[in-house]
Amino acid sequence: MIELRNIWFSYIGNNYVIRNVSVSFDRDVIAIMGPNGSGKTTLLKIASCIYRPVKGKVIVDGVDYWSLSEQEKVKYRRRIVYVHEKPILLKGKVADNIGYGLRIRGYSRVEVEEKVIKIAKELNILHLIDKKANELSTGEKQLVALARALILNPNYLFLDEPLANLHLAVRRQVVEVLKKVRDEGKTTIVIATHDPLLALTMASKVIILDRGRIVQTGKPQNILNKYII
Amino acid sequence: MSATILALTWSIPLSIRMASMKHRVKSVIISVFNALLGLPTVLVGLLLYLIFSRSGPLGFLKLLYTPQIIVIGQAILITPLLVSLMYEVFTKALAEYWELALSLGASRGQAYKTVIREVSGDILTISLIGFSRAIGELGVALIVGGNIKGYTRVLTTAIALEVEKGEFNVAMILGLLLFIIVLSVILSIRFIKRGTQ
Ligand SMILES: Nc1ncnc2c1ncn2[C@@H]1O[C@H](COP(=O)(O)OP(=O)(O)OP(=O)(O)O)[C@@H](O)[C@H]1O
Ligand SMILES: [Mg+2]
Repeated sequence: MIELRNIWFSYIGNNYVIRNVSVSFDRDVIAIMGPNGSGKTTLLKIASCIYRPVKGKVIVDGVDYWSLSEQEKVKYRRRIVYVHEKPILLKGKVADNIGYGLRIRGYSRVEVEEKVIKIAKELNILHLIDKKANELSTGEKQLVALARALILNPNYLFLDEPLANLHLAVRRQVVEVLKKVRDEGKTTIVIATHDPLLALTMASKVIILDRGRIVQTGKPQNILNKYII
Repeated sequence: MSATILALTWSIPLSIRMASMKHRVKSVIISVFNALLGLPTVLVGLLLYLIFSRSGPLGFLKLLYTPQIIVIGQAILITPLLVSLMYEVFTKALAEYWELALSLGASRGQAYKTVIREVSGDILTISLIGFSRAIGELGVALIVGGNIKGYTRVLTTAIALEVEKGEFNVAMILGLLLFIIVLSVILSIRFIKRGTQ
């Protein structure tokens, strides 16, 4: 379980963009929704231990993350993966990108290669893995970024607008893959999205954020009906 | 060349530091460096001369009119340029690649390595700009180097001397040589960079 306790965060001075947020992520799929600039991305980065909150605590599997030593931090960080809303790929080949997380965890070249092929097949991007990363389209990059995250089998998976750049048929396919991960039951998935359909089909809980505060939480059917026209 | 390398040894850490600094302090420092960009090279030369001349505060080092002082002077000269450009690169890289590395479970060391790898091409290009400025400047080399034949005479001071003597043809040939050196360095680095894309 990742638990945020009374989190405050600002990028500049006293301009708080997350205000006293407390929430916990445990099992299943949780959708975070809310207007542009309401703080979804920021909150996800705090929960995935990338940003340090100005005030409040981030508790990962029972321990206060920011009080840990650097070595311990890495250990807990490796249970969590965050996927950016705008895909960021590293120089080099697509396969190297997908394997990055495994390489830094010390997996052998053969193991990495095997797993890369397996996940690339699942996401239908096998034809891309020998291409250079900077030659891909935005949607292709997003799929690569997703593969690079899923290959790690994280306990916590934070996805920021995972379907934004994808074609409808590809969306279906990504949703199927994510459902499979959900049904395996080992990964808590948190998705920031503007897409009520995605929230309805995948999430068991929706959290609505507005100007840095949680203004509503509940089952997607109860919250989202008014958004579906 | 050695001036560029020397300048890099402090400009890289400095610009990383600056990129990860707080907003207000950062903008003051970066403005200072931007202002220093336009500093005339003779002024830098003069300042160094005053510092390193026999009666200056660092006069005891006896560095005036040696090749070493030219290197130091040129390194100082190009530092504002390197820092201003690298600061931009590192700001972007820290926002993107540092975060990315952490989000995929990298340790701090691994994240640093990833960032450096991603910006290496840009750093190379920036170093090249610094190198071109260092090899092409006259003020520092002339004032603190002294243009001593076979010792502290560099291409630019040699050109200046030939012009003074009225030997315009020799000066032109030396100028061409300078251009060829810079061009070949730039081309070879371009070539290396292409290989690492
Ligand atoms: N790097 C930054 N520096 C300063 N302010 C920032 C930065 N990133 C975000 N903000 C501000 O923080 C607030 C929350 O931004 P955030 O990106 O978390 O919103 P979001 O809910 O993800 O929006 P969107 O739906 O458009 O993705 C916004 O007011 C934004 O202007
Ligand atoms: Mg966002």
